[in-house]
Amino acid sequence: MKVWECQQCGFIYDEAQGWEEEGFPPGTKWEDIPDDWTCPDCGAAKADFTMTEVA
Amino acid sequence: MSGTNGRIVVVGAGVAGVSAAGAARLAGYEGEIVLLGGEDALPYRRPTVSKELVRGDKGPDEVRIKPASWYEKNAIDLRTGVRAESVDPTAREVRLSDGSTLGYDQLLLATGGRPRRLAAGDSGAVTLREIGDADLLRERLDGRPDVVVVGAGLIGSEIAASARQLGCDVTLLETAPLPMPRVLPADLGRMYADWHAAEGTELHADVRVRAIRPDADDPSLTVVEADDGRTWTAPVVVEAVGMTPDVELARTVGVRLDDELGGVQVDELGRTSVPDVFAAGDVASMPDLVRGGRHRVEHWQNAQNHGAAVGRAMAGVEKPFDEVPWCWSDQYGGTLQITGWPESSHTIVVRGDLDAHDFTAFYLDAEGILLGAVGLGRPREIRSARGWIGERRRLDTTRLGDESVALEETLVS
Ligand SMILES: Cc1cc2nc3c(=O)[nH]c(=O)nc-3n(C[C@H](O)[C@H](O)[C@H](O)COP(=O)(O)OP(=O)(O)OC[C@H]3O[C@@H](n4cnc5c(N)ncnc54)[C@H](O)[C@@H]3O)c2cc1C
Ligand SMILES: [Zn+2]
Repeated sequence: MKVWECQQCGFIYDEAQGWEEEGFPPGTKWEDIPDDWTCPDCGAAKADFTMTEVA
Repeated sequence: MSGTNGRIVVVGAGVAGVSAAGAARLAGYEGEIVLLGGEDALPYRRPTVSKELVRGDKGPDEVRIKPASWYEKNAIDLRTGVRAESVDPTAREVRLSDGSTLGYDQLLLATGGRPRRLAAGDSGAVTLREIGDADLLRERLDGRPDVVVVGAGLIGSEIAASARQLGCDVTLLETAPLPMPRVLPADLGRMYADWHAAEGTELHADVRVRAIRPDADDPSLTVVEADDGRTWTAPVVVEAVGMTPDVELARTVGVRLDDELGGVQVDELGRTSVPDVFAAGDVASMPDLVRGGRHRVEHWQNAQNHGAAVGRAMAGVEKPFDEVPWCWSDQYGGTLQITGWPESSHTIVVRGDLDAHDFTAFYLDAEGILLGAVGLGRPREIRSARGWIGERRRLDTTRLGDESVALEETLVS
């Protein structure tokens, strides 16, 4: 399970937790999220997320 | 002395301070990190103050920058509700509001800013910057009172939209002819003026507010008075006329300030004019490595990523900060994105449809070099534009507006 972070606003997408508000159940892999999905907080593109080491 | 040991004291637990503390740790800093937050709340996402928090869509627990456990896990000694009062750079000591002193090896000023006011004293108007301001305004909006918002910049426009969405009658006053004059050119300002009208927000442009004061007969009302004699009276008046960088502590350190842009002058690594004292975020006037000269940016992404870069520099990992600025704004459910420096452009080309709220507007100089872009609903184009602005790429302005041509194909060099 990986964690992805929005470079613009810091929103965290954690594969383990998913994002139920938009219909991604826990365990949803990053590659299974549609390419036109945007950051729920700031509207950045999916490509604006980077895989991150969570300190 | 940057290095991996000693004590870093970060003043200000906004996003710049929190990011700096985390990034210093991640870069291998092994000394103590103390993070002083003048506000009582756990560090939170300030942009929600004029959006989710004021509308009540999210509560304080849902807008934290990091969970409480993060600070402990990273050995970051977060002290909320404690202000740094003054600094003695010779003794390398900070005097705190609780009366104690704290020594440092390296100091970071991440003090952000405060709302600008039209006049000193209690005018009856509210301002919005801290989480408590959102609570207060939300309570006052409860009975759907009439609201007057002074200033149609990014924040004033958002507050107007939020209050309108809550069902209030909203009047929005702006000195310039169109909303968001500092960040948007006329075409887009006009689109927002139309949008306010369509949503029932009453926008008055070209209004120079001369005074805001409590109503003489009914102190529960506040009066806004314009230069031309017009007045507006409402139970809730919001003053959103910009921010002033907070240099109060910086003055006690004696660091060089920026008289023109405001704030503290730093170099490309966030170093001030005083050894081992750094500054980051809204308060920092920094070299603009894309266009030359200096700039001071008041956006979340800059504060977050500049803070992180300066935190790494304090840990000895020195890489100049050269990100192209980038911000967003939510109004009436549409997310506007702005990147680069659209205001300094020569030519504008719109791709898409302004009235449909589905477009990217590209801003170029006389040679066709991309300087900025503004988009609604087109994050991928904004992403491409942001990269190209940093690389000073040129675009073919005659084909840029033609959506049958792929965006990449309009690159000239
Ligand atoms: C209502 C609102 C909405 C916004 N919306 C957006 C948006 O949608 N998109 C966007 O890109 N940007 C937005 N911004 C801008 C963004 O929030 C700021 O750029 C960002 O918060 C700056 O971070 P910072 O850490 O530099 O400063 P700040 O967030 O101002 O944090 C500085 C902190 O330092 C503390 N402090 C100051 N002096 C001392 C002291 N002496 N001792 C201890 N603590 C001290 C302050 O109390 C404060 O908590 C918004 C700003 C506001 C106010
Ligand atoms: Zn985001």
